[in-house]
Amino acid sequence: MSDDTKAILRAFIVENFLFGDESQPLTADTSLIDNDYVDSTGILELVSYLEETFGIKVADTDIIPANLDSLARIAAFVDRKQAG
Amino acid sequence: MSKVRTFEAADLDDVANLFQRLLRKTSTPANDDLKSYFRQIFLDNARPEPAFRSRVHLRDDGSVSGFIGVLPVSMQFKDRQILALDCGSFVSDDRDVDPFAGARLLRDVLSGPQDLSFTETANDISTEMWKSMRATVLGSYSLGWLRILRPASFAIEAAANHMRALKLMRPLGYAFDGVLSRAVGPSSWLGYEQTPGKADAFLTEPISDAEFAALLPRLLTQFEIRPVWSNGQLEVMLQHAARKRNYGERHQRAVKNRSGKIIGLYLFYGSKGDIGRTVQVVSEPGLESIVIDCLLRDASACGLVAVRGASQPNIIQAMIGKKCAFVPAAATIVHTHDRELLEALKSGQAFINGLVGEGWTRFIGDRFE
Repeated sequence: MSDDTKAILRAFIVENFLFGDESQPLTADTSLIDNDYVDSTGILELVSYLEETFGIKVADTDIIPANLDSLARIAAFVDRKQAG
Repeated sequence: MSKVRTFEAADLDDVANLFQRLLRKTSTPANDDLKSYFRQIFLDNARPEPAFRSRVHLRDDGSVSGFIGVLPVSMQFKDRQILALDCGSFVSDDRDVDPFAGARLLRDVLSGPQDLSFTETANDISTEMWKSMRATVLGSYSLGWLRILRPASFAIEAAANHMRALKLMRPLGYAFDGVLSRAVGPSSWLGYEQTPGKADAFLTEPISDAEFAALLPRLLTQFEIRPVWSNGQLEVMLQHAARKRNYGERHQRAVKNRSGKIIGLYLFYGSKGDIGRTVQVVSEPGLESIVIDCLLRDASACGLVAVRGASQPNIIQAMIGKKCAFVPAAATIVHTHDRELLEALKSGQAFINGLVGEGWTRFIGDRFE
């Protein structure tokens, strides 16, 4: 995963789920769900963003916490999709 | 592992209980009437293609945590037939701990091969979810209109919706409205003001389900996007619409000119003292104002304190000057990949709410006993 991809994802999460608040804790492994950063709307927003930005197709079965619950998981998911 | 799949008879108990708890806001378990109605609406007449059927979301343990009801509607768009899915019944449990359930349900349905997906009953949460799927909110279909006919009685009735004991004050409201009416005289702010030569030159009369069903399609040809009901389908829907016991008496009427030609139809509910609810009002092009005045006249004559309904672009235009208030209501939202269709929807050329949506079902306005 490139640093560029990480930076793009982080910027999206800060802008859309943390409302630009850089002071909120957001490590690569911070759970977006446990910390109430995303709800159902946020999940859909995130998936649409991934499809539009990274040119990947997200299947229904992909929409699970194992793929989308943290910055690291999302980045790894994008990598797998782009590779596969 | 959690998953989304088509709704099956084995899910009826779980789905009806979810609906009861989350939408009807009661801890009483769903009864047989409600379960049977879910079967009738979402299973008995469902299409065979999985993409056009209702869905459930299952947790890891197989229990149901979400439901989206799908009602297919055949429609005409210009010279072609399209398939629309009304996706208005949408509930998701555990929203805080499992935000994936609702997201997966909505995404699964909206990514299907139908030409158009829509809802006309979206609350704030659903609206945001649909918007995240790049759906479009149709502003001119998402307003509620309200026309007050008896101001004091309306104030009491509106307050009594939150505190039932206030219904005891109804006689005071009638008395005050009577005094006001005599003091002010004829006024379009107080009830229906007579319009000789306009609406008062037209008659209205009750019509049967069969007559209503036969007449409505002719009045809809003015819309570029309109439903195409199969033989008997609309009549069956009207039979469902006859059962809205929470809304009071049904008024299904036709508006006729002096030569007997029917120029409009409407369906509203309400008994004396109620705030009436309009499910549908439709007219020949250019005669919307007359038909709305006739509706207000009938609503006033049967003692309603106010009447309300959902907006459509042509109705909004005709209501200007009729002392109607417009307030935010459940949103009408559309999702389509067809740009031409979307442009037609955005420009108000669709007949898409009321009887096209879920307004005809018992889920809206009836009791399950």
